[in-house]
Amino acid sequence: MEFLPLTEPVLLILLSLAGQPRHGYSILKDVEQMSDGRVVLSTGTLYGALRRLLDEDWIERIEEQDSSRGRQAYRLTTRGRRNLQVEVGRMKQLTRLANLRIAGKQA
Amino acid sequence: MLTLNVYRHLLLLYPASHRDRFGEEMVSVFGEMQAEATGMGTGAQIGFFVRETAGLVTGALREHWRSLGGGSIGLLFPTRRVTMHSEFRFPKATAVLMTIILAGVIVAIKQGEAIVASVPHVSQPVGTIHPVHSVLLGGIVQGIVFFYAAGMIGWAILFAMRRSGVHRLAETSGTPK
Repeated sequence: MEFLPLTEPVLLILLSLAGQPRHGYSILKDVEQMSDGRVVLSTGTLYGALRRLLDEDWIERIEEQDSSRGRQAYRLTTRGRRNLQVEVGRMKQLTRLANLRIAGKQA
Repeated sequence: MLTLNVYRHLLLLYPASHRDRFGEEMVSVFGEMQAEATGMGTGAQIGFFVRETAGLVTGALREHWRSLGGGSIGLLFPTRRVTMHSEFRFPKATAVLMTIILAGVIVAIKQGEAIVASVPHVSQPVGTIHPVHSVLLGGIVQGIVFFYAAGMIGWAILFAMRRSGVHRLAETSGTPK
């Protein structure tokens, strides 16, 4: 996996799309909520990330029912979901190791 | 503040391909965010304005860099050599600090006005002290103009490099094919 590990904003964007398809504004608000206001993306940053994720086939555009407002919804592709699972697995392993080390046990 | 019209103009900093693909969508999302920010305090609005302006300018530079063949410069994945912060954060502490500084400036000006009023004008009266509000507004407008001009200059440089073929240098290989 060339692109792993992911940065926190991209990880949050992918997690936002993991539950359901979302359009841009919904992703921004969900990312802000998930990070307790710590990560607030600008539209420039969001669409730079979405462009790259689209190009890498991690996400795809889907037709939005309300297309009159220039909205486009996005969802994870199979590849994107698989990569997200790999990244979460890596983080779990890291967390487990960190907990063991902090507790003073050898892993 | 950053209006939809100004936002549309700042979008011109992006490569045409990016604008065609995401332009209308970005404007739509910005409109929703702007409507939400309108109901917030001044600090939050300034934070929103700075974040959006900085995000657009840096995003446009990244997209131009990528279109020149420079690849990603750390927007998404930290494995790249150059890593940039992909979000602009405006800490609340900064807003508090700015408020304190503003209060200090206002107090200093008021005291200055009081001193001027207490000193009798013998020969040369002290010049008019402009109200701090107009000075601040002027500074914000100048800031917008500065960001816009800096973005346009950056875009012009990248455009000139593209026209001159400099970007192709990165594609050249040291070994014969």
